[in-house]
Amino acid sequence: MTLLLALLVAAAEPPGTQLFADANAAYLSGDMSRAVAAWEALVSEGVAATELETNLGAAYLRQGKRGLAALHFERALFLDPGDDDARADLIELRRGNVDRLEGEGEEGGTETVARLLRPLPGFTAAFALVALWAAGWALVGVRLLRGGPRWASAAAAACFAGAVLAALVTWGAAAGRRMAMQRAVVVAPSVSAREGPGEKSASHFEIHEGTTVRVEDEEPGFRRVKLANGLTGWVSASSLELVVPPGWAGRPVVAGSPRAARP
Amino acid sequence: MIPRRTGNAICLALLLAAPAIAAADVELSATADAAEVALDGTLLLRVTAIYSSQGDTGELQLPAFADFDVVDQSRSEQVSFSFVNGAPSFRRTVLTSVTLTPKREGDLIIEPAKLEARAKVFQTEPIRVRVLPTGQTPRGGHATSSPPPSDRVPPDVDPFADVHPGQRDLLLRATVDNDRPYVGQQITYSLYLLARANVSSIEKLQVPRLDGFWSEDIEAPQQLVPEQRILDGVPYTAYLLRRRALFALRPGKATIEPADVQVLTGFGMLFSRGSSRRSSLPLHLDVQPLPPGKPPGFDSGNVGQWTLTAQADPLGVAVGQPVTFRMIATGRGNVRDLRLPALGAIPGVRTFDATTTDKESIERGQVNGTRTVEQLLVPERTGAVEIPSLTMEIFDPAQKQYRTLRTDPIAVHVVAAQVGQPVSTPLAQNLLGGGGVRPIRLRLGSVQRSAPPWAEPWFWPALGLPPFGLALGLGLAGLRRILQENPGTRRVRLARSAAAKRLRGARALLQRGESVAFYTEIARAVTVYLADKQGVAAAGLTRDELAAALSARGHPEETVRRLLRVLDDCDRARFAPGSSEAPAREAMLGRADQVLNELDRGNA
Repeated sequence: MTLLLALLVAAAEPPGTQLFADANAAYLSGDMSRAVAAWEALVSEGVAATELETNLGAAYLRQGKRGLAALHFERALFLDPGDDDARADLIELRRGNVDRLEGEGEEGGTETVARLLRPLPGFTAAFALVALWAAGWALVGVRLLRGGPRWASAAAAACFAGAVLAALVTWGAAAGRRMAMQRAVVVAPSVSAREGPGEKSASHFEIHEGTTVRVEDEEPGFRRVKLANGLTGWVSASSLELVVPPGWAGRPVVAGSPRAARP
Repeated sequence: MIPRRTGNAICLALLLAAPAIAAADVELSATADAAEVALDGTLLLRVTAIYSSQGDTGELQLPAFADFDVVDQSRSEQVSFSFVNGAPSFRRTVLTSVTLTPKREGDLIIEPAKLEARAKVFQTEPIRVRVLPTGQTPRGGHATSSPPPSDRVPPDVDPFADVHPGQRDLLLRATVDNDRPYVGQQITYSLYLLARANVSSIEKLQVPRLDGFWSEDIEAPQQLVPEQRILDGVPYTAYLLRRRALFALRPGKATIEPADVQVLTGFGMLFSRGSSRRSSLPLHLDVQPLPPGKPPGFDSGNVGQWTLTAQADPLGVAVGQPVTFRMIATGRGNVRDLRLPALGAIPGVRTFDATTTDKESIERGQVNGTRTVEQLLVPERTGAVEIPSLTMEIFDPAQKQYRTLRTDPIAVHVVAAQVGQPVSTPLAQNLLGGGGVRPIRLRLGSVQRSAPPWAEPWFWPALGLPPFGLALGLGLAGLRRILQENPGTRRVRLARSAAAKRLRGARALLQRGESVAFYTEIARAVTVYLADKQGVAAAGLTRDELAAALSARGHPEETVRRLLRVLDDCDRARFAPGSSEAPAREAMLGRADQVLNELDRGNA
């Protein structure tokens, strides 16, 4: 019986727990390289967890790799938009970024609402939307077809009101997710933003590691990115990492991802 | 007034009296005055050996000149001794000039010259020279084995390379080592007096105003030190009058106005004494703006070759006790324009205003500087406090590129203050402010990284299904009601619409001109309606019986009368065709429709 219980407990633990604990120990002893290597091994095995991404971000930040630190904090927030640690660490990291954006942000009203709604539980809201919507219509049907009690009408109205609320949260989560799918982080120390997708195109500004950008277009070897204040340019694709990597959230896995070549 | 020095003896005496001034280096360089030469032309090779220590001497081995013939060879020596910023400086320059003519056409190489000094062998780089066919005009340009002029320290540049004094006995020569400097890059301005006559002293020296430059004296000799030079085959004595470091403050064209000198020539008190005034030529510079690609946060004064370090003292301290943080930028360039990064707020640490001190020095003709920023930090909470890494963007004119300097982060360990320990703040509290990277997580959770519900194929059909299902249910209920209806009831319900349909049929017959059929159809519409709706079979009743039956059902007398009239008119028209006009037929349709409406309302 004890053996059975032990097996059950072991089976309930997420995969890679031991390696995760080893990496934590390495981090706490100051061996950042070993900690990063172990956590990265878990990532390459397909383990996706907010804790893993937050810890990786903290370790990269300790190593002075601001770009990779920002990337993993962003990934942690993608996995759990309500994660307080990842959000606080990301704010702390951005305070020390080289790039300071000037001018008004180009974020529209829709994006602002979506950003505010994003930390709310979108997955739960989506299931709640389906349930409340179905219940509302079922109560309307009962009232119309069977001449059900009066409270059925009030209950249907309540269900529909709840469904609208759930729809709003779901929409916010979906919009935030859509924005995250376009987001990328500069991981190279600095990269020239050019007028076109070519090394010979004129460069008007540089962006530095840790800056988050939105990917708007892609050409072989280059990506067209937009900063939060609307500044736009083409940068080398290898200098960026997508916040949502291939294999996550339905994004197709591409062979030869730059992540594979990263040291 | 600068008294003339009558020989090397005084200088040597001074050198012997100051053995500590010996510098540490020997330099060897070689330049050719042209990169291309015609087969029948000549080129001048200059090999310069510079000794910074008085005891240094060396043996120069000229190249073998396998591809050249030596036409002429000469050697000159210059010794300078000066006090710079209170420190004595010695310098001996030995210049060996060799005039060469090539033996053949093609790309030739002048082999390296070697110098044995201080138990070391110094060697120049080989110099490539293109030899053109006889009579061809070579292009301009110098061949050199040392770095390009803009990157060299000033004494390596021969200031007399392009001097052609002609018949003049006295000449004031102003020169800069780089006439296309970047903004903020050091250039060296030198002022020489070239003389074939004896120079007793300098009565007056007027150095031009250097507007648009920040300047610093490198050498301002108090004595005239002669240096022998051969210019266009004529021996001259060169005297360095002034050497200054200039830093251009803005890009664009700049002009250094002529310098003036009043020279007393001749010997002693009586022989051939005379005073002469000479002016130099103006110098034109093209100051280059810094190249594009400035990193964010770059300050235009940060030009030069700098290093940045940071230190804190002590590294372990009680809360409330001060820590001195020092950030030091040192290197080559104009330290007065340098802007160092500011230390931002550190969570849990009170920072005080910084103080800045600058030090300047001249080394080998270059202005060096050190800027030290000191700041007092007082930790306000216990634990590890990290002074973050600071970055400074600079432009290195030697490398012609921007560089980022970064200090290492510094960890300071803060412990609790002991009771009674004096602290620099009235209350030594462990203040816990926000900020800092949070601790790592120790338990691994798992999350769904699959597509969200709204991206699943079932999501939108699931939302559409309830309203669709309700509509389907309502439809089926209605259909069931229709299917379960009694035929008689159905006939009563549909009687009025059937009569209206027949009247539309009658209108069609009217339009086709079928008059009899028209009236027949109207009569049928009325009688079928009476049979279906009112339950009165008009065909088997007289008009009076029909009127009585309808009156018994509560229909108004007037309506019944109009109905009977419609039926009578129809019978008359059917059996006496041609008696009615078209407008009457049209009116008949309206009358029939109206009477049916009245009956239907009465029935309702």
